[in-house]
Amino acid sequence: MADTREERPGPIGQGAARQAAPAKADPDGRRWRSLGPAVPGLLFLAIVFLLPVFGVFLRGVTDPVFGLQNYAELLGSGTFYDILGNTFLVAILVTIFSILLGFPVAWLITIAPGRIARIIFAVVLLSMWTSLLARTYAWLVLLQNSGVINKMLVASGIVDQPIAMVNNLVGIVIGMTYIMIPFIVLPLQTSMAAIDKTVLQAASVCGARAPVVFARVFLPLVAPGLTAGGTMVFVMSLGYYVTPALLGSTRNMMLAEYIVQQVLNYLEWGIGGAAAVILLVITLAIYLPVLGFQRNTAST
Amino acid sequence: MTTRQNHKHALLGAFGMTLALGAMAPAASAADAITFVSWGGTTQEAQKKAWAEPFTEETGIRVIQDGPTNYGKLKSMVDSGNVQWDVVDVEGEFALRAAKQGLLEPLDFDVIDREPLDERFVSEHGVGSFFFSFVLAWNTNKYSDGGPQNWEDFFNVEEYPGKRMVYKWPTAGVLEMALLADGVEPDNLYPLDVDRAIDKLETIEDHLTFWGSGAESQQALASGEAAMCFCWNGRVFELLQQDAPVDYTWNDNLTHADFLVVPKGTENREAAMQFISYAVSAEGQADFANRSAYTPINKKSDAMVDSEIRPHLSTAHPDQQVSMSLEFWAEEGPEISEKWNEFVLQ
Repeated sequence: MADTREERPGPIGQGAARQAAPAKADPDGRRWRSLGPAVPGLLFLAIVFLLPVFGVFLRGVTDPVFGLQNYAELLGSGTFYDILGNTFLVAILVTIFSILLGFPVAWLITIAPGRIARIIFAVVLLSMWTSLLARTYAWLVLLQNSGVINKMLVASGIVDQPIAMVNNLVGIVIGMTYIMIPFIVLPLQTSMAAIDKTVLQAASVCGARAPVVFARVFLPLVAPGLTAGGTMVFVMSLGYYVTPALLGSTRNMMLAEYIVQQVLNYLEWGIGGAAAVILLVITLAIYLPVLGFQRNTAST
Repeated sequence: MTTRQNHKHALLGAFGMTLALGAMAPAASAADAITFVSWGGTTQEAQKKAWAEPFTEETGIRVIQDGPTNYGKLKSMVDSGNVQWDVVDVEGEFALRAAKQGLLEPLDFDVIDREPLDERFVSEHGVGSFFFSFVLAWNTNKYSDGGPQNWEDFFNVEEYPGKRMVYKWPTAGVLEMALLADGVEPDNLYPLDVDRAIDKLETIEDHLTFWGSGAESQQALASGEAAMCFCWNGRVFELLQQDAPVDYTWNDNLTHADFLVVPKGTENREAAMQFISYAVSAEGQADFANRSAYTPINKKSDAMVDSEIRPHLSTAHPDQQVSMSLEFWAEEGPEISEKWNEFVLQ
């Protein structure tokens, strides 16, 4: 959750900015020395993240022979674009629904009395601490044709036939939205908590009606949290595997599942590597501009 | 393996490990133990009881169970030279493909008695673990007076309405079935006309659903979510045992097999060969069949299988049987998968 630091008045985000100022008087040495404690962490990331990513990249251009044939094969097949389309569709839907559902929760935590706010907060966190696999299987049990939800719907006469809610897009979006909500709520709530409530009051006092206060005062103030959370959910959704694989059907195959199929079933590591690099590039292309936007909004 | 590939492996071996998904299995470092890897669930349980336990009793070599089988993991172990799996249960076409890629030890047929084995399931680098058939099964509640009787009926949505389920993954099976239904003679199946098979499947596109695991196919068929199913015979047998409203036909059943293979570079090669020798012995195969209702690849096993199970094994229906070419799939599988993905993604 790197971006949330920007908004949080804390030692990491603004502290670093504050430190930058005296560095002018101080020789560069001090600034570098302050990096010291980060070295083990950076080294760790370099070994377990950067090096493997480089390996994946190498695979993509060397397996089975050196060249760009894996990229050519991927980008030249209609299937790959179907899969990319699925991936983006799911990521967009999940982001929208997570925001719609997470926004009120974040606000509730912000305005509720301390004890209740803490309980809601704990519930949000609790969902994150439960095994992803267990939660996804739970959805499978709930949503399938012979599952609890469909049985209730049919028994109560609301529908004649069970509604297909798994092995399709609906299942994926329900399962993933549920998993992603905390990632919206946490940064959003941080943004909301930082708002001076008197600003909202001032807007009302000046005659703005509630929708106007919301759209012109409140939304801009929580924009950093919203973009941080939204981007994170979107980017995480792009690379999601377990939930789509279990709750979706082959028709909804996303990029991560395609990579797994290539790597595990066909040992086409070159194709898998190339697809992984394409996913990474797309993710960065989306993430970096938003990161820049974050910096701008944080400094204004 | 060519020199170029060796060079490539040397270059990329270091990255192989990092690509492995998940932690490595506990090693069977001492020669007094081997690691056996299969797909988990009731199948591996039966393999443990039928093969591993008596094998340990006979030889004193312990058998550590691990799983599930993961081809990417197998390849990364071999590439990195850190092989922790000694005997692995894989799909037949994968065994042949992996052998071509130099990932497997050749089997020692001085240790493994080849003579009584069904030759369809024996190769230089892998030997059948068991074999089975894709069969046509249906939910009897959906069709009161008899069900679909052949693959043509599978495509006849007017006379036999309802969802039909097929295997989700592009392995030998569904395409062969579609071609048989389209009138291709069993002897003329290969090389597969993939486009024709997919065209045929597209005619019932709106009636098709997919199953990814055996349990999924059982659940859908028994509950009636799927009216008929292109299923594994062992799974249908299990449903019958549970008195589920299910029936099936052996008409044009399509045989497929799992193979036992030994990853290249294992330190326990000899013990692995001994284990395989036991697993494919008449006793090992018969005992496994009695526990799992999968068909023995050892021709001497049949007489030792319970009379109750015997009619439900592929060996009881050789006249209605079509043997699928695992060699063809080993060669063409990755390419067919592209077309298959294209089909299911539409």
